[in-house]
Parts: sequence; structure tokens; C-alpha cells
Amino acid sequence: MKTIISARRLCKKYGAFVAVDGISFDIEEGECFGFLGPNGAGKTSTVRMIHCVSPLTSGTLIVDGQAAHVDNRAVKQQTGVIPQEITLDSDLTVRENLQVHAHFFAIPRREARRRIDGLLQFVELEKRRDSKIDQLSTGMKRRLLIARALLNQPRILIADEPTTGLDPQARHLIWQRLRQLKDQGATLILTTQYMEEAQQLCDRIVIMHQGRILKEGAPARLIAAEIGREVTEIRSAADQDESLVAELGPLARGHERAGDTLYFYCDDGRPLMKKVLELDLPATVHRPASLEDVFLKLTGRNLVE
Amino acid sequence: MNFSRRIAWVFWRNMVSYKRFVLTTFLASLIQPLFYLVTFGIGMGAYLGQFGGKPYLYFLVPGVLTTSVMMSSSFECMYGTFVKMIHEKLYDSLIATPVSAEDAVAGDIAWGAFRGLVSGSLMMIVAIFMGILPVSLLSVLLLVLLMVFVGVLFGSLAMIVTSFAPNFDFFNYYSELVITPMLFFSGVFFPLDRFPGWMKALAQFMPLTHAVAVARAIFNGDYSRGLLLNFLVIFILGGAAFYFGVRRMKKRLIK
Repeated sequence: MKTIISARRLCKKYGAFVAVDGISFDIEEGECFGFLGPNGAGKTSTVRMIHCVSPLTSGTLIVDGQAAHVDNRAVKQQTGVIPQEITLDSDLTVRENLQVHAHFFAIPRREARRRIDGLLQFVELEKRRDSKIDQLSTGMKRRLLIARALLNQPRILIADEPTTGLDPQARHLIWQRLRQLKDQGATLILTTQYMEEAQQLCDRIVIMHQGRILKEGAPARLIAAEIGREVTEIRSAADQDESLVAELGPLARGHERAGDTLYFYCDDGRPLMKKVLELDLPATVHRPASLEDVFLKLTGRNLVE
Repeated sequence: MNFSRRIAWVFWRNMVSYKRFVLTTFLASLIQPLFYLVTFGIGMGAYLGQFGGKPYLYFLVPGVLTTSVMMSSSFECMYGTFVKMIHEKLYDSLIATPVSAEDAVAGDIAWGAFRGLVSGSLMMIVAIFMGILPVSLLSVLLLVLLMVFVGVLFGSLAMIVTSFAPNFDFFNYYSELVITPMLFFSGVFFPLDRFPGWMKALAQFMPLTHAVAVARAIFNGDYSRGLLLNFLVIFILGGAAFYFGVRRMKKRLIK
């Protein structure tokens, strides 16, 4: 596998505020790489530096063999961006949005027409080609953003929280499309705060928090390493912790209290559940461990602001 | 400064959107100058008799024409650009493509200048229908050229204002404190000769004064050596405003 993006001690400051605090990572060609983190973790700042719209404060960032910087048109030429915000041109129709964009990438007119027809089909908007943007639903707008990001047939596709605010149907359609693109060989960079999204799409993820990378790895491996296979949640008052931990602790890999819930992490939950039944604890949930547990364990289960 | 031919495609984007509201803008950019022509030109002009050997309208038309170029290009680069930048986030999607921030801003200044040219040309057509003709065909061509320069000048000045604007209300300062005084103290409606000395001096600091002087000379075909200085002011100030407008906007767009 060839490394297509490589960052070393990458920093981004806005005035005195440190958004990205000296992170290093490598992204392989053809993989789906996810940046996970709560709001303000530095995900968007990082990807904006990758696609050359935001200058680095310090460190190095190599994209496809070239240093990333705001005047690097060559990197932008082969990057597609699905932005977090809907940045469609509301004065234009669906089709015109794509036509205008094709010119910015210097795609010849006839080739552009061919690609636009194909992409409108790909995102299932061919019937809305002459609609104005404000006649589209949020899901359609997001799909159009995907089509727009693909016009230049990018080798690197950046999706910055691509499914925020979508209903489940629209979200699944977008996931399918992104997976299809990855199968076609594009390198996919995803930022998200939805763990399910990361688990669905990413080969490897980094979990970011306050501008730093806390953990890096394949989702399944991170879950196994940090949490185990199963999680038992017990709703209970905090003053019961001592006795519960004394009883259940030896049967689990670890435990954690957050708010009204005590979490036990284990690889095999059966002995622990047997004990829970013995103790007759009614408000208990037993479930498989997920990326969300890793994420919450690392970034803290309490609200970050 | 990182410019490319993509400036033309940014301009073209505006053209594609323009076709939807072109008629409304015709109306908007014609009405105010027409009021000036009717009230000052025909109403007041009736009392003025000959003005430098010609009816007053020959004095007024080039002034009003230049003013309408100033208005259109300024407002396009203030309100138009602000909406595209803040409300529609258009610049964000532009600079994610190989279009640089400089291309995007220069394309919009060019667009503002074009809008000014359209307004000025409409005024000229109205004047021609009223029988107030530029002195020759060459004059018409030179006026078109001048309108482009004037449009770039005021579009760029407005772009500097936009680069600082936190909200729409901010533009009121510029239009009330800069645009409106220029309208009345730049020799659009009457010659500057009878103003007190300090006012005459002040007028020299208003770019519109120089633009109107050149437009009037071209319209009536009476050229003098002093015009060269007027034109140089437009040209140099326009270049400087363009440079700073693009630079300031880039600073705002790229963070």
C-alpha cells in the first residue's frame, strides 16, 4: 500500500486558540480513513489543511507527494470535497451547479455533460436536474454535494460530516454511495461524530480530542483493545458503586461510572450476567461493545464544551 | 497574488445566475438615474439655459452615467459579494476547487464592473433616445472603456469595505459617508468652479470627480491636458484598490 497523505507534527492555530495540536498520521491510498471526535476536536481543521484551503501553522503535510498549502491548485484539482455545510449555489439549478463547478476544474464541456448525467443518476437526482436548490430536501442537497464533489473524478475524496441532519434512509443511501466509491479505488477521508458511520465505512480511524489524536487503528481492533466484546450497563446510584464493583469487578475487564450508570466492560459477559441475575438488578442492559464505548471512554462520557 | 484564467469562470457563474433577474436589475439601475435626468435635467435645466455653449443635459448626462456605473459596481461588490460570502457560502465551495481566493475575488470585481457597465450603457441609450448624443462614435467606444475602468475602481473600493463588513448595516456607513457625498460634491450636477477653495480641494480627493471629468470631456469631445491627470488618478487608484481589495478579501476567506 502506498501512503498518499502524510502528516507530521501538524499544528493549526487560530490566534491563541490551538485547533490542531501537533498530530501525525499516514493515510494509505484506497483506504477509508476516519477522523472521529466531538465538536471542536480539530477534525475539520485537519481536513481543511489536507485539501489546501487552510494554511498550516506548523509541521509538515504531504498530499500525493506535494506539500499542502493554500496555493496548491494541483492538490485541489484531484480532491473532491463534500462539505459539512450546504454550500450549493441557490441562484442556480441542480444542473447549473454542476456545470459551473465543472468549469472550475477545467473539464471540457462535452465531457462535463457526460459526467453530470452519470453523476445525477448515481445520486438519484436525474429527475430534479432543473430544480432550483431551495426546492430540494436536505437529503437531496447532500446527494448533490456528493455529485459535485465527484465531478473531477477525485483520487482523494473528503467527506466532512456528510450525513449530519439526515433521516435514516438518506443516510444509508449516502453510505452506500461512499462505499461504492471506495470500491472504485478512491481514497476516502471521513470526519464524523457518528460512531455507526465510522464503523460502517472506515478501515482505520483516529479518535481526536482537543486537537490531539488519542488512539489510532481499525474500529474492530480498537473496540477489542479498549473495551472488550461486551458491555453491561447498570443504572444505579453512585453510593452503590463500592458493593457492585466488589461483586462484579472481578468478572469484568474494567468499569466506569458516568452519571446514573455504571459500565462494566468484558470479553465474555456470561459470568457477570449470571451474577447480575443473582443480585436481582433490574435496570441492566447487556449489549455488544461498540465504537461508541471506545469513543466515550477516551473522550469522557460527560459533555465536552 | 495567485491569479489564473479561472477568473473568467467565476465571472461566468455570475452570468448564469444573472439571467434569472436581469430585467429587475435593469429597472433598479435605471430608475434613480432617470429621476436625476428628469428632475435636474429637464426640470431645473429649463432655468439654466446654455451651459458651456450646449443645453444643460449635455453637462448632466455624462455625470449621471458615471454615477450609475459607480452605484451598480459598488452595490454589487458590497451586497452581492456579502450574500455570496456569508449567506450562501459560495466562496467556500469556490476555493475548494482549483479556483484560488484571488481568482474568486477578481472574478467578482470583474462582475461588479460589468454590472456598472450595463447600468451606464442603459443610461447612455436612454440619453440617446432623449436626443442627447455623444459627440462621435469614437466617444461612445471611449465611454464604454472608461466605464470599465470606473467599474473596476468602485467595485474594488467596495470590495475593501466588504472585507471588513461584519454585517449588512456596515454598508450604510460607506454609502452614506462616502457614496452620497461624492454624488453631490463631484461635479455631477453642477460645475465645481464656484465652490469655495477648500471644497474644490476636497473634491479632488473624490474618485468620482475625476471619473465625471473624463466622462464629460469624452461625451462632448472637448479634451484638455488636465484630463490626463484625471485619468491617471482613476487608473492608479483603481489598480491600488484592486490590489488591496483582493488581498484583504483573501485574508478574510482563508483562515
